Amino acid sequence: MAERRSAVILTAGALALLVYALAFASPYGLRVLTVAGVYALAAFGFQIVFGLGGALSLAQGAFFGVGAYVTGILGSRHGLGFEATFPLSMLVPFLLALPVGLAVLRLESHYFALATLGIAQVLHLLAVNLPELTGGSNGLAGVPAAVLFGWAVPRGLPMAGLVWGLVALGGLIGWRLARGRLGRSLTMLRDDPLAAGTLGLDVGRLRLAAFGISALFAGAAGALAVHTQRVVSPEVLEFPVMVSILTISIVGGRGRMAGAVLGAVLLLHLPEWFRFLERGYLVIYGAALLLTIVLAPDGLTGLLHRLTARLYGGKPRALVEAREPPPPPALPEGLAVEGLRKYFGGVQAVDRVSLDLRPGTITGLIGPNGSGKSTVINLLSGLERPDAGRVRLGGQDVTGARADRLARAGLARSFQAAALPAGAGVLEAVAAARLAFDRDAATAEAHAHWALDRLGVGELAGESCDGLPAALRRRVELARALVRRPAVLLLDEPAAGLTDGEKADLAALLRDLAGEGMAILLVEHDMGFLLPLAGRVLCLDRGQLIYDGPAGEVRRDQAVATAYLGRAGSA
Amino acid sequence: MAAFQLLVNGVALGAAYALVALGFVLVLNATSAVNFAQGDLVMAGGLLAVALAPLIPLPGIVLLPVVLVLMAALGLLMALAAYLPLRRRPPVSVFISTIAVGIILQNGAAILFGPEPRAAPPLFGDDTLHIGGLAVPEQSLAIVAVAALLIGAQQWVFARTQLGRRLRATAQDPEMARACGVPVTAMILVTFAIGAACAGAAGLLLANRYFVTPTSGGDLILKAYIAVTVGGWGSVPGAVVGALLIALFEVGVSSVLSYPVALGALYLTLLAILVLRPQGLFGEAVRRRG
Repeated sequence: MAERRSAVILTAGALALLVYALAFASPYGLRVLTVAGVYALAAFGFQIVFGLGGALSLAQGAFFGVGAYVTGILGSRHGLGFEATFPLSMLVPFLLALPVGLAVLRLESHYFALATLGIAQVLHLLAVNLPELTGGSNGLAGVPAAVLFGWAVPRGLPMAGLVWGLVALGGLIGWRLARGRLGRSLTMLRDDPLAAGTLGLDVGRLRLAAFGISALFAGAAGALAVHTQRVVSPEVLEFPVMVSILTISIVGGRGRMAGAVLGAVLLLHLPEWFRFLERGYLVIYGAALLLTIVLAPDGLTGLLHRLTARLYGGKPRALVEAREPPPPPALPEGLAVEGLRKYFGGVQAVDRVSLDLRPGTITGLIGPNGSGKSTVINLLSGLERPDAGRVRLGGQDVTGARADRLARAGLARSFQAAALPAGAGVLEAVAAARLAFDRDAATAEAHAHWALDRLGVGELAGESCDGLPAALRRRVELARALVRRPAVLLLDEPAAGLTDGEKADLAALLRDLAGEGMAILLVEHDMGFLLPLAGRVLCLDRGQLIYDGPAGEVRRDQAVATAYLGRAGSA
Repeated sequence: MAAFQLLVNGVALGAAYALVALGFVLVLNATSAVNFAQGDLVMAGGLLAVALAPLIPLPGIVLLPVVLVLMAALGLLMALAAYLPLRRRPPVSVFISTIAVGIILQNGAAILFGPEPRAAPPLFGDDTLHIGGLAVPEQSLAIVAVAALLIGAQQWVFARTQLGRRLRATAQDPEMARACGVPVTAMILVTFAIGAACAGAAGLLLANRYFVTPTSGGDLILKAYIAVTVGGWGSVPGAVVGALLIALFEVGVSSVLSYPVALGALYLTLLAILVLRPQGLFGEAVRRRG
């Protein structure tokens, strides 16, 4: 079992560290080891916000520095003890992260990096230029030792023990978060934020949670750093701290807590082997970072993982028992749209489109390329905001609501190009669609198994999404929509690339679903597939509805024929 | 009188910043990648000029072509090591690889030159010119003139030459450019070379009056980044205008209050812009490529 193997490797690593610390390490060696633990703790937080969540926060070093200053100021100037300063060192960066996160977390990734770097610079400026509070560029000396239950933890082995005890605790918490609902949701939105929204995940809230957690870890690490150094100066807020945390996380293995520990131990010892570089030792970090990102993007633990997987075979997963998810919400009014409009620049992509998707019906949406079909689906699923018009889902006004809110209210959609996360397992990919609904990851997987069974591909559960043939990818994508038991289902060309047999299967399935009360909208080019299936057909041309009526008569409609075949006189 | 001198200083600083931002935005447009090492490339150009000065005991303007060529070579090297292997990966990979290049440059410079501030020779001379009762430092005028010349040359190459057309085609739509027979990879390499040369020139221009230390790149990348954000992500004229605005802001606030206050205000303004108008003051020039 892969898990037991990881546990064996971890235990062996921990024992090796313990033996080294107890029997071989010099006082200086212990100090390096202690600092390595401090950085591992800071890197745990970075693994959550960046490794899993994909948000490149360049404020992790700054949060570390803030934690350090809180302990430094309260400890040396106000004589507060560890029991007060340690929690406050975590709390202050956290409270700082919340408003900042609210403001900038929805920005695109590069802006987020810039904004967090800007915050780090402001904090550094404050530390240097507020000498009454921070001691200015000299900083504050005389920070007391950490006092635990009346015992001042001395430097050397006891301090190393305290730090590494907290590393073990923090690592366990981080590991549990990473494996649970939060970690999986974060990975999902890192790999495909658009799809994550349509699966019901609130991108902003998740990133905010990850950012806040990262600040807690960084603050704890900063506090311990100051208890180790006994002084605090603006150096803790400078870019090298951030660089170290980033390098540790990437070299150790992005998103893995074990990677943070391995990276920290390795990188904190590297400068010892390159003493001749003196202050320029970070050049080694730069080289290690560049080499890792180019040659082994999964880092050392990623390599190790692949190596053991090759030696001992792939991971045989114990599959969870399939369980039926709770039935869909009853939305008797279905989805009703009135006068929808959308402009791109000066171009009217969608012009006064009204439609009604009733429970138990299948509606077709056709139109030449560029007529606005995909824009309509994007508007209905909340990926674009309409410029005018009203959208009601189950009688409730949801005009302009975000994709995740619509998804949680009972709407599901598929994408034209089935967008399955690279490297993920099939079961995992489908379970991702339940993360916003289910209590925990195991329940989500049980429900995912049900959806795969329902689509007749239960045996794919243990497979990887990579390398699935196109038809099976479409099924998995459909399972992702189905597993949420939506009341309204929007499908974007689900039959493209299927054989006739597969199309017949799909048609039967869609009829079943409609029979159970689902409202289905099908965007399709394939009339042979669509017309027998749909009760009603809508035809779009240049953003306007030019036909809305029974499927049987669309072929005889003059306006539709003209839209497809071109107007007389136009080239 | 004092206001005029501030204006001259601000425009000179802005001209140098404009070169930094220009190099940044050209690479951004050609690759959709953020070159985080751009500030450190400026620092490298400055220290290169410092190192060359004893070898070529002539005014800075003679060093300029040498710095441009060597920095272009460095840009090429950087593209080969830190961009090309990652071009099919998510953009954040390139962001990190350029952070790595920046760390290497910064700490490599610290090993070679030590942490002390250094000054490069002035472009022409150190005199102060008196024009109609106004005292203007010669170096400031030279910075503005040289930067304007370089930016003009870049605009001319991009607008009027075959190479420029290919570079623009690559920036607009790499897939389409490739289909039309443009050697896209070569164009990307050339863009990195131009970007680094711009940074190097800025380094030479700045390293006389403002000195250069191995860590001066950190502030500069932020300013380039802010200039490009203010000017509209991806807009070339916007980047130049943004750089001028930032420099005037910096010089103005520094003179009334202090440099740290100016810097702090600049970052806070940036945060406000990101929150309130993430598309920049003049609108975003590029839509995200699908």
